[in-house]
Amino acid sequence: MDKIFRNKLAIILFITPALLLFTAILLIPICQSFYYSLCDWNALTSPKFVAFDNFKRLFLKDKIMRTALKNSLFFMFFSAITQQILGLILAGILTNLKRGRNLFKNIYYLPAVLSSAALGLLWSFLFNPKMGINQILSYFGVEGPLWLMDTKGFIILPMWVIAFVALWQYTGTTMMLYMAQISGISKSLYEASYIDGASKFKSFFTITLPLIKPMVATTLSLNCIGSLKFFDLVYNMTQGGPNHRTDVLATHLYNEGFQYFKYGYANAIGVVLLLMCLIVTVVINRSIKVKNYEM
Amino acid sequence: MKRLKFSNIIIYLFLSVFALLYVVPFLWMISVSFKTNAEVFTNPFKLPQVFQWNNYYVAWNSGKLGVATLNSIIVCLITLLASMFIGSMAAFAIARMRWKLARPAMTYFLIGMMIPVHCVLIPLFIQFSKLNLTNHLLGLILPYITFSLPMTIFIMTNFFRGMSSELFEAACIDGCSIYRCFFHIALPLARTGLFVTGLMTFVNNWNELLMAMVFISDVQKKTLPVTLTYFVGPYATNYVQMFAAIVIAIAPSILIYCCFSNQIVDGLTQGAIKG
Repeated sequence: MDKIFRNKLAIILFITPALLLFTAILLIPICQSFYYSLCDWNALTSPKFVAFDNFKRLFLKDKIMRTALKNSLFFMFFSAITQQILGLILAGILTNLKRGRNLFKNIYYLPAVLSSAALGLLWSFLFNPKMGINQILSYFGVEGPLWLMDTKGFIILPMWVIAFVALWQYTGTTMMLYMAQISGISKSLYEASYIDGASKFKSFFTITLPLIKPMVATTLSLNCIGSLKFFDLVYNMTQGGPNHRTDVLATHLYNEGFQYFKYGYANAIGVVLLLMCLIVTVVINRSIKVKNYEM
Repeated sequence: MKRLKFSNIIIYLFLSVFALLYVVPFLWMISVSFKTNAEVFTNPFKLPQVFQWNNYYVAWNSGKLGVATLNSIIVCLITLLASMFIGSMAAFAIARMRWKLARPAMTYFLIGMMIPVHCVLIPLFIQFSKLNLTNHLLGLILPYITFSLPMTIFIMTNFFRGMSSELFEAACIDGCSIYRCFFHIALPLARTGLFVTGLMTFVNNWNELLMAMVFISDVQKKTLPVTLTYFVGPYATNYVQMFAAIVIAIAPSILIYCCFSNQIVDGLTQGAIKG
């Protein structure tokens, strides 16, 4: 028995395909990416080592990078806060619901399985200055704003609009993960609290919230990393316009790399993105200390 | 009792209004896809007077959606099968077999979950163009499999660990080889896990846009999400066709979702809790 499960040949056979793919498509490219980010390189020349010049230019001179960084961070904080709260509220309500739980759950989760590219197009139409939502507003005699082209303010209106669409699309995911965790909590805990005279509301705060803490860390890091990686919605709703005001890190990377073919420079953006993702994950997991409760 | 009913009404009202926010855009989209362009401006909220089936026909042809759908299906199916197979083999070795490096191997795969595609985009693009893999569906399939592996391995290890070891012991005593243990006992028992990972892989890759945009420039090789982006630019004034194209593009996902939504939900639950 033991011998069979220590079969070296079998282990190698089982693990090699995954290991090969992982190394060839993830590990090696990442190492290259770090190296290229230190190079001056466009499509025509060969890479020339310039140390940290790309990063200096990125952070000191590049105005679009500043906007992209600001926008990406805005998405991150906005979606982290709104999705967590809304997802948790919905999960709390739905798990206590007697009828129609599956129906509502399925409706709210639906957009998360659909293509962001398609949904981005749909919403860009709904937020078109002459159509969709502005047509409704004009029924009430209100002239709607230029949702996706307005450029006033520190965080411009199109950013709020895209952030809203992202919230609409992904709240279901957060809700679902919380529901999964809540349904794993033993019913006897709640029954005991009801006998002690606690209301449903109170038991939510005293039992549910502390027990789903591990899931908070998971959903929060998923939220944050997801919104840092944002590409599809922005690309199909505004393409980074007007005048690069809605660019995020991913669209900036795409433009620099595949519109202007500045490979080294675009890679530097990629490295920044990777580091941000890693930092966010570490910070979240450190700050939300997970205790193990008996479930 | 009366108070309880009142609060119930408030809750259902809230949930229904919220649900409308989800359903109305889709219904509107379908109704617009059957209108004429003029109708979109004159009576945007009424049902179309004559159903313009022609929109779908034109969108299908001018957007080259046929070939795009076929490409998406090919890419997704191969990715699905390959990542399920490769992933569960690795997961089995990690969860069930005894070797010193099992833990580090798991960590190695899990780190993959945190890595954004963007970071490897350019190096991969360079490599693939040297190997003539750009403009080739294989150039999409390989990275898709790789990026689906961490989640697959993560979920499948949980399933394999959850199986009772007596089962495997009994099989071994009867003279079952490790390969038979895997193919005839472990895999069939982990059906639910395979189903979940399969669906997740399908959903992610069916919708993937960035890599598909970068690696493929040949119109004959593009996938569905990429062809949709055509409707952003030059076709942008032709709303009805754009909407027909969107409906065509998301219809398969909606169909699959309707058939399997409860399994998707259950699967997510199992994957999430066990993690």
